[in-house]
Amino acid sequence: MRTSGGGVEGRPFRGLAAFLWTEALVQAHESLAMATSMVVQGVLLVFVLILDPSLLGVALAGAILFSMFAMGSRVLNEAAYIRIDHKAHDLYLASPLSPEGYFLGLSGGILTVYVAPVVVLGAITVAVAHLSVGVGLLLLALAAAVWLFSASIGYVFSTFFRDNRAIWAYASLFFNVFGVLPPVFYPFGLFPKPLDPVVLLMPPSAAAALVQHAMGVTSLTGGQIALAVVALVVETVGLFLFAVHWARRTVQER
Amino acid sequence: MGDAEALRSQDLRKVYTTKGAPPTEALAGVSLDVRRGERVALLGRNGAGKTTFLKIASTLLRPTSGSIEVFGYDIARTPERARPYIAVVPQEGKPFFHLTPREQVYTYLRARGLARETARSRTEEALGRMGLTEIADRLAITLSGGQRQRTMVATVIATEAPLLFLDEPSIGMDPFARRDVWESLRELTRRGSTILLTTHYLDEAEALSDRLYIIERGRVLVTGTADDLKRSVGGTLKVTMPGGGAFAESFRSFGASVVDGSHLTIIVPPERLGELMELAVRERLVATVGPVTLEEAFLRVVGRSIDED
Repeated sequence: MRTSGGGVEGRPFRGLAAFLWTEALVQAHESLAMATSMVVQGVLLVFVLILDPSLLGVALAGAILFSMFAMGSRVLNEAAYIRIDHKAHDLYLASPLSPEGYFLGLSGGILTVYVAPVVVLGAITVAVAHLSVGVGLLLLALAAAVWLFSASIGYVFSTFFRDNRAIWAYASLFFNVFGVLPPVFYPFGLFPKPLDPVVLLMPPSAAAALVQHAMGVTSLTGGQIALAVVALVVETVGLFLFAVHWARRTVQER
Repeated sequence: MGDAEALRSQDLRKVYTTKGAPPTEALAGVSLDVRRGERVALLGRNGAGKTTFLKIASTLLRPTSGSIEVFGYDIARTPERARPYIAVVPQEGKPFFHLTPREQVYTYLRARGLARETARSRTEEALGRMGLTEIADRLAITLSGGQRQRTMVATVIATEAPLLFLDEPSIGMDPFARRDVWESLRELTRRGSTILLTTHYLDEAEALSDRLYIIERGRVLVTGTADDLKRSVGGTLKVTMPGGGAFAESFRSFGASVVDGSHLTIIVPPERLGELMELAVRERLVATVGPVTLEEAFLRVVGRSIDED
């Protein structure tokens, strides 16, 4: 039997790096979108600068977490676009490329390109907020977790739709409920107290609360820290594993 | 499944169930086989079940019942084992708009696990075969529909996968590009690949396929070569007589006839042609004789099935 079509047995995550490169090339050809990916963060930072410049450090750290979260919305839109509009999804999935390699390659390709403005934001944050190495590393780890959470939820959601127009409304909801409304750009303490547990259960705001606590801007109780850490870890790991399972399951429609 | 077969399906059924709508039976027991190195075409009307069959065979859709194997691997149970051996041009599939044809083909081969050098040389060969070399570095968003479709076909033929599924591969292409596709597919089968395609261009099916299956309402209606199909409609010659519509009854005994306005078309076996022409002369009709085309045979076979239903 000829095997020149691309190897034999599929192994987990097969083709991830190559598909990540493919998606990064696709995204890199859209440089304008890369620039406009910072518009919401820029506007919110200006608001904070005008209203209370002392909160700029908090808002900058929040902008990094928000940017990483927003990449999940891009995964939602891009995965649906490739599947519904381009139908190129079939080309890739009926091949030795593993389904989880497709999901993570797509998400990683978007991250590879869109992380560039976030790195700039990170440099500004370090300079403005005078972050210690420890807080900087914590912010980096939390940003990675928020990205993994949002990429996973974005990919899973993308498989539920048959029409791109329906996705736009949900993408906007997703973006605002998780990223804009809760205390990501502003201190955790300013949010209504009764809703604290809800905020700590949502990964972007849980991550923001932990960073703010580490920066000394917010004071979390031991219970709140535990809730934020457990929620972040369980939701991120759980959703990631589910997304991998879901990617494998949905290759073959039922 | 024998070693000589690339694909075999047995009594394959697919029923789509959607909430609030009655179930739709897309495949109602399709049994077919494709031998290694063959080019086989699936023909049928819109909605006949061709694309559903191709989606199941290419591991993207689970059948409701029945079995289907690709190179001996059960597609329903272990699709991941069959995937290295297949490649598919999806219906209405488009390349990434923000990649060039060269990037599209090359990165796809890399995602399939081909080594850099192999991917590079196959990319250039496929682009050349599909006449894309001159536009290989333009973003797909700037290409015409036909050029994008050629990019999709180039992407898949470059894999040289043992079994290729092509769902309407030459749709939107000009006649020159279609012939490039045909020649590339012939070359692939000479090298050992097997091809299963669907098409609505019956000249393409005739030019390209060793065998064909006509599918209607989820069932295989007829299988054989294009010549077999043409013979099955009662003759290999077609006689067209403008103004012959009024004389249809006189010609009925010669074979199947179609009255289209005042035109009369009759399908006739060669041994009765002389007799028919004599009658045409007596009735002072002008008669044009030509071969029966696959399209006419297809229309008759499918039309007969619809009438019977």
